[in-house]
Order: sequence, then C-alpha cells, then structure tokens
Amino acid sequence: MNQLPWRLWAAQVAAVMRLELKKSFFARRGLWIYILAAMPVVLFTAHTISERADVEAVRARASITPQQREEIREGMSRDEVLAKLGKPFSSETRRRRNNVRETLWYSDGQAQFQVILRDDKVVQTGVNQGGSLGEDWQVFAAVYQYFFLRFAIFFGCVGVFMNLFRGEMLDKSLHFYLLAPIRREVLVVAKYLSGLVATTVIFTASVALQLTAVFALYDSNTVDQFLKAAGGWQQVWAYLGITPLACLGYGSVFLFAGLLFKNPLIPASLMLMWEGVNWFLPALLKKFSVIFYLQSLCPVPANPMGDIAAPLRLLASTAAPTPAPLAILGLLGLAAALLALSAMRARKLEINYSTE
Amino acid sequence: MAVYKKSYKGFSGALTPAWSRFLVLPRYSFARLFQSKFLFIFYALCFFPVVGGAGFIYAVNNLGFLQSFGINIGDAVKINNNYFLAFLQFQGALCYLLTALVGPSLVAPDLANGALPLYFCRPFNRVEYVGGKMSVLFILLSAITWIPGVLLFLIQSSLAGWTWMADHWWIATGLVLGSVAWILILSLIALACSAWVRWRIAAGALVLGVFFLGSAFGSAINGVLKTEFGTRFDLARLMAVIWGDLLRSDTDLGASAWDAWSTLLAVSILCVWLLDKKIRAYEVVKG
Amino acid sequence: MTPVPDSIVFDNVSKFYGEVLGVNRVTLTIPPGITSLVGPNGSGKTTLMNLMTGLVQPSRGDIRIRGVKPSEPEKLFRFLGYATQFDSFPKGATGFGFVYGSLRLLGGGHADAEKLAWQAIEQVNLVEAAKRKIAGYSKGMRQRIRLAQAIAHDPQVLVLDEPLNGLDPLVRAETIAMFRMFANQGRHVIVSSHILHEVDMISDQVILLSNGYVVAEGQIRGVRSEIEEHPMQVLIRCSRPSEVARRFFEHEHVVEVKLHSDRGGLLVKTRDADRFYRLLNQVAMEGVDIDTVAPADDDVNSVYTYLIGAEEATK
Repeated sequence: MNQLPWRLWAAQVAAVMRLELKKSFFARRGLWIYILAAMPVVLFTAHTISERADVEAVRARASITPQQREEIREGMSRDEVLAKLGKPFSSETRRRRNNVRETLWYSDGQAQFQVILRDDKVVQTGVNQGGSLGEDWQVFAAVYQYFFLRFAIFFGCVGVFMNLFRGEMLDKSLHFYLLAPIRREVLVVAKYLSGLVATTVIFTASVALQLTAVFALYDSNTVDQFLKAAGGWQQVWAYLGITPLACLGYGSVFLFAGLLFKNPLIPASLMLMWEGVNWFLPALLKKFSVIFYLQSLCPVPANPMGDIAAPLRLLASTAAPTPAPLAILGLLGLAAALLALSAMRARKLEINYSTE
Repeated sequence: MAVYKKSYKGFSGALTPAWSRFLVLPRYSFARLFQSKFLFIFYALCFFPVVGGAGFIYAVNNLGFLQSFGINIGDAVKINNNYFLAFLQFQGALCYLLTALVGPSLVAPDLANGALPLYFCRPFNRVEYVGGKMSVLFILLSAITWIPGVLLFLIQSSLAGWTWMADHWWIATGLVLGSVAWILILSLIALACSAWVRWRIAAGALVLGVFFLGSAFGSAINGVLKTEFGTRFDLARLMAVIWGDLLRSDTDLGASAWDAWSTLLAVSILCVWLLDKKIRAYEVVKG
Repeated sequence: MTPVPDSIVFDNVSKFYGEVLGVNRVTLTIPPGITSLVGPNGSGKTTLMNLMTGLVQPSRGDIRIRGVKPSEPEKLFRFLGYATQFDSFPKGATGFGFVYGSLRLLGGGHADAEKLAWQAIEQVNLVEAAKRKIAGYSKGMRQRIRLAQAIAHDPQVLVLDEPLNGLDPLVRAETIAMFRMFANQGRHVIVSSHILHEVDMISDQVILLSNGYVVAEGQIRGVRSEIEEHPMQVLIRCSRPSEVARRFFEHEHVVEVKLHSDRGGLLVKTRDADRFYRLLNQVAMEGVDIDTVAPADDDVNSVYTYLIGAEEATK
C-alpha cells in the first residue's frame, strides 16, 4: 500500500475537483439546482413572515368574543351568521357548477375563527390558534421527507452526478480528462467527490436555512427549550447529517447510471418509481433502495403532506426503521459498491461521440 | 468577384401552399419517431384502453350479454360523465408520458446542431416552425384522446339511443375541449423545455420535473402555509379541475375552474415567450 | 510481439464499432520522426490515433507506445500529447485555463503548471488571446490552443489529428517547423492530413490507409519503387532531347518517352529505376548536357493515387 502513489493521486483528485467544482457551483446550467434547494427555504420564510403578520392581524382585527364563536352551528344560514358575528374581516367565495363555497374569517383577538358555508349554509367551522413549534416541526419533517429528500435532492443529484460523465460525453469534452495521465479510477473518485461536495454544500445549506426560518418565528426561550429539553439539537444534527448521506447515496447511483446508460432519463425514471414503490416491497427488496435507509434515519416520523396529488401518491411510503448505524453503513456500502462498479466501467469507457 | 448570373437559377417550381407548409415537419418527424421500437410499442399500447372502453360500453348496453356470463351488474355501472372523465384522466396520463418521450426530441436537436438557420433561410417562418413541431404532438396525442373519446361517445349514443346523445352532447364537447387544452399545454411546455435545454435527455427530465416537482412543491406550499394556493403549481391537478368542470363532476380538487384556466393560460403565455426567445435564426456566441 | 522500446507498435490490431469496421489487422512499427497517416475520409486515420491514445480500445490485437499500453493512461500521457480533431472544450474554459488545467492533472504544482502553460501558449502565438474564452476563438485559434495543450508537458510522442486545418500560411509554416524540430530531437510526431503536398514536405514516413486497412507504409520513395504496375516517371532537362529519347527507346524497360514542347527536355516512363539511372549516367558520359533530373511521381500524391485510386484522391 505504501508503494502506491497516494500523494500524486491526491494532487490529481484536487486538480479535477478544482475544475469540476467551478462548473458545479458557477455554471449557468446548474442554476436550477440552487432554485430546487431554495424552494423550501422560500416556503418556510414565507410561512414565518405570514404567521407573524397573522398574529398582528388577529390582534388588530378582534371583532367577536370566544362566547360568540360557540354560538355558530352547522346548518345556520349566512344571514344568521352575519347577524350574530357581524361583518367578517376577510372572506373568499368559490363558485362551482353545482354550489357556491364561501369562507368567512373572524378574530377574537387571540385566535382566528373560520366559518365555511356551502350554498349559504354553514358546513364547517374552525379555530386557528396560531402555530406551535411542535406543529411546525412536524410540517418541516413532512416537507423534508416528502419534498426535499424525494424530489429536491433526488433531481439535484440526477442533474449533478449524471452530468459528470454522460453530460461531458454529450458536450464532447470528456476526452479532456481521458487524455490526462490520470488513472480512470482516480478520475471517477475525483468527479464523484466534486459532485458530492457541490450537492452537500448546496442542500445542507438549504436545510440550515430552512431550520433558521422555522425557528425565526418563535422567541428564543421557546427555541432554547425545544433544542435543549426536547432533544431538538439531536434532531437538527440528524437532518443536517442525513442530507449529505442522501447526496452520497443518490449520487453514487446516478454516477453509475450516467456511465452505464446512453439515456440516463430511463434509469432516473425507473429509480423514481423504485423509490416510490418502496412501501409495497418485501423487506428484503426494500433494502435495495436509498430512501429506505434515509427514512430510517429521519428523527421525526412524518405523515405524507396532507392532500397529496396523483403523481405523489405513488411515492407516499414509510420505510420500516433500521438502526441508525446500520442505515449509515448500508448507505456507505451502497455508495462504495457503486463507485467500484463505476470505476470498472470507466476503465472500459471509450470516446465515441458520434453515437451519443 | 465573378457573378455567374446565368448559371444560377432559383427554384421556380410550385411551392407548397403557405397555410399547409408547416405540415412538412410532422411528415419527417413521424418517420423518425417511429424508428424507435420502444415508442412504437408504447404508442400501440395507448390504444388498448380505447378498445377496452368500447367493449365496456357495449357490455353495459347489452346486459343480456353480461348475464350470459353470469355477471349481474344491475345499475351499479353506468356510462355517464364520470365514465368519460375516467377515460380522459387515464388517456391524459398516457399523453403526459408520451410527451416526455417525444417532445424533447422535436426542438432540442435542431438547436444543438444549429439547424434553425437552415429552416429560416427558406420560405418558412418561426410561427410555422413552432406550429409544425406542435402539430407532431397534436396529431399523436389527439389520436389517443379526443378522437377515440368522441368515437366512444358515438358508440354509446348509437347503443343508448339518440335521446341520450341529445341530453349528453356536452360530454363530447368537454372531451374535445379538455383534450385539446391538455395537448396544447403539454406541447408548449415540452417545446419550451426542449428549446431552453438543448440536451434532449435533460429536456425530457425537465418535462417530468415540471409536473412532479410542481405537484410536490404545491403540496408543500399547501402544507406549510395552510392554504390551497399551492395547487396552482400542480399543473396535472389543475387540468383535472378543468376536466371535472367540463364533464360536470362534483369532486373538489382544491382549485376553481377559473383558477385552473387562468393559471394554465399564464403558463402557456410563459412558454410562448420562452419559445420566442430561443427559436431564432441566429445564435450569439459569447467569447 | 517483440518489444521495440522506442517505437510505436501495432500488432495485428482490429477495431470494430458494432458491425462497422474501424481498422482491420493493422501491424505496424513506427520509428521516431514525422509519420503521416494518409487516407480518404473514413479510412481509419482517427481510429488509429484513438487506439494509440486509449480513447478507444482494440477489439483484437496489442498496441505499445514506447513500451507502454494505451490502457495505462497514468503512464502513457506523461510522455504523449494528443491534439484531437474534436472541436469542443470544457464549458467556459479560457485558452490559458484549458492548457493550465490539463497540466495540473499531471499532479504538479501551480507555479510549474502556470510556467509551462505560458510557454506552450507562447509557442503557438496565442498569448494575447489566452485569457479569452475558447468559445469566442476562430477555428485556427482553437487548433492552436489544442496544439498548445498537447505540447505543454514536452511530450516525447505527439499525436496530431489534422493539425494544420484552419491555420493560415504563416502559422502553418511555423507549425511545420516545430514538428520538424520535435522530430529532429528523436521524438515521434504522428500527424494525419488530407493535404498531400504538405504531407510530402514534412513526413519522414507515411502510412496509407484505405477502408480500415493499411495499404502501404514506409518512406515515400521506398513505397513508390515497390509499385511495379505503374512505371516510374522521370523528368529530364537536357541538350539534344530527341537523340536522348532515341537512346532510351533501345531499352525494353523504358515504356514511354515524351518530348517537351520547348524541345528542352523529356519525360521518361520506366519499369526499372536502377537500370534507367545507370543508362542515364552512360548517356551523360557520352556528352549530353543534363541540367536536371527529377522524379515526377514519387510523391505522396502519386502513391496515394496509385494505391487508393484516382477517384478517392479527388474526394
């Protein structure tokens, strides 16, 4: 082992990473990955801003008492509601072919009161006391599992890791590396590491910003209590740690797919389906997916986000938990195995741009 | 410089009529597309639900036929608006997959190979180019949506009687209008994606991403902000709202038909703008 | 296969792209010096170069470049530089970045790479444009930056696919001079070209390819003398050409003699060059003033035409 040129390899890995990271971080074609990572940050920031505005609005718009609220029953007419509660501070009407649905909002100074009418009859009422950190934490967990892991990181890794070899093949620029005095195995590792660093930095930064946005809504005592007393720190570190592991797992899969397939869209779609049907798979097959290990590591079991659209329904699955050390080892093992296969494949790689 | 005026003669034969010139593009596109066996088989499979649907209509209208097999369905199954809505939703999903497969290969290769100047140095303009490329998808997708849909409607009308047809003409209108709207939105998104992402494969991924990510992000918005506004990012659901509205279904999908139409119109305008930016006869190389 | 340490050796090498033939049963030993690969489009020139550099792998046979297999890039590209024909570069790369980046892949430090990069760029006269993006370069500039990248690490083997394409006459002359300098230092310079008179000018040896087969290899004159079905043509400027012509006709190896229209010389076609030159010496000793004797068809163009066919040559 000592005779192997480790120092040379390290220098070559650094040289490849220098070139690749520049492309990953600053290329215009990679802008969409930043947008993907920024989407939940924008969402949680908007949530924080709107919740703060709501609290102010509820205070400012107080027009009813909690007792008046109790008087509203299902089946009451619109006029009766207006007679008892007066004019709402906000309302929304949605006309459908067969009915008209109207929502009226009132405030008692502490909470929002919502009256839902269909064809001028009350069909539902609700009280919105404002969010709690515990509730928001659940929402964060759901968004993390069902949007961030399964879509944002998944598609981000598709873009970054498939581009490493297949993208350069299509750009007809891969020969630049293949004409350098660098072992193909070292090239694979270097490219993988640059993809991993790029996705890890982008997506972990996104998680950190999401968490900041979630906590920003609450006062420091509430946040402190949550982080220290309720084991919040552990969960925060878990989410920050799962993100690089997701990049590591998905990255190795898509790097290999990019080396193996001329049209990586097909394996990416199959992978999306495979991860989606994970819920229905027998225990043994579940272990051959990335999401199985990632979900096992998620500290908060999350329910699928409320009203899931048709394509998402396919993906709504919960994996049976696996002990964290095993899950981490599983992911590392998967990445190592796929990296070894990628290196083997790279040794046989030929430049034949005309067939791409 | 010598100009050999006598040796050069411009084309003086008859030109294809201007109105139908765009159809030159689908003629060649179809030939190329169906060289792929995978696509050919997939497209053939898209007709199976139509055949099944016709058989089902026949069976429901001939209960005696079903009873001869010992099946008694009573009044449980009816051929009504919900049946045609289900048909439209299923075929609409197939349309989506077909667009993700076919759409990106329409414009991306022309841009990647710098072929646009070759088109536009002929009596062929940008609108005709986009129209020609869209017509490929329009023809392909029409053949599996509104055309068989109307055919099923006519079969049902012939079996159930012309009074049924007179009472339910709006189903046929809804099928045509709903399908055409879906085909147009899918075509515009696919062409815009393939014009901006010259890598055919990435363009295909983007078409998938627009719908899947839009749907997921929409759900996330609804979950985090406790609103239904996020549904506007879920284009497939918005289309389902429109289909539901046209076929008079009562399912609440979180958006009104007005919301759905206005959002899809905005998306279409955005796609046209994106196409206008990219479909040009020249290219600027920044050195 | 007998190892030849300083040579490039192809031993029964074939390459098939599916059912399409790239090159077939190529057995070659290329000594140092300038070697030109000549052949029509699709004859296998680029395939041969890609095989040499490991960009494609042989379906059969063995290749050694100065004793090293192309499947060992970590050793091969320390002494080999390849300027490909691919007109594509890493996205957003500047001329300097392109050369510097490839030097850093050698594993060296920043200072060395920077120095070598500037040296190479200077050698191809691109210093002023070095910091500009390659996307904005002209065809000739792209060709030169590829050349700079190939020579930057001072390789012993230089493989160049159509290196003179797109270069203006001045740069072309400078580039040819550089190849000559490399060759004189005992290095390999392998070039492919379509421009036969240039090949003729610069090459120490040629390899003629057609449809994936090597049809001839070696020094032009040696190759020419082995083509027996085409008599050799010799142009002579001399006094008394009619008399000389009569003398030549007395010998059966002379198949045709044409007198020049100015009556100042003649063109002779002979089947036996050695006997012809002996005869010419004899004629000179008999008092005929001979100004010049020049072979008229022992250039690449003629060899190419004879071996690959006039039709292909005009392609």
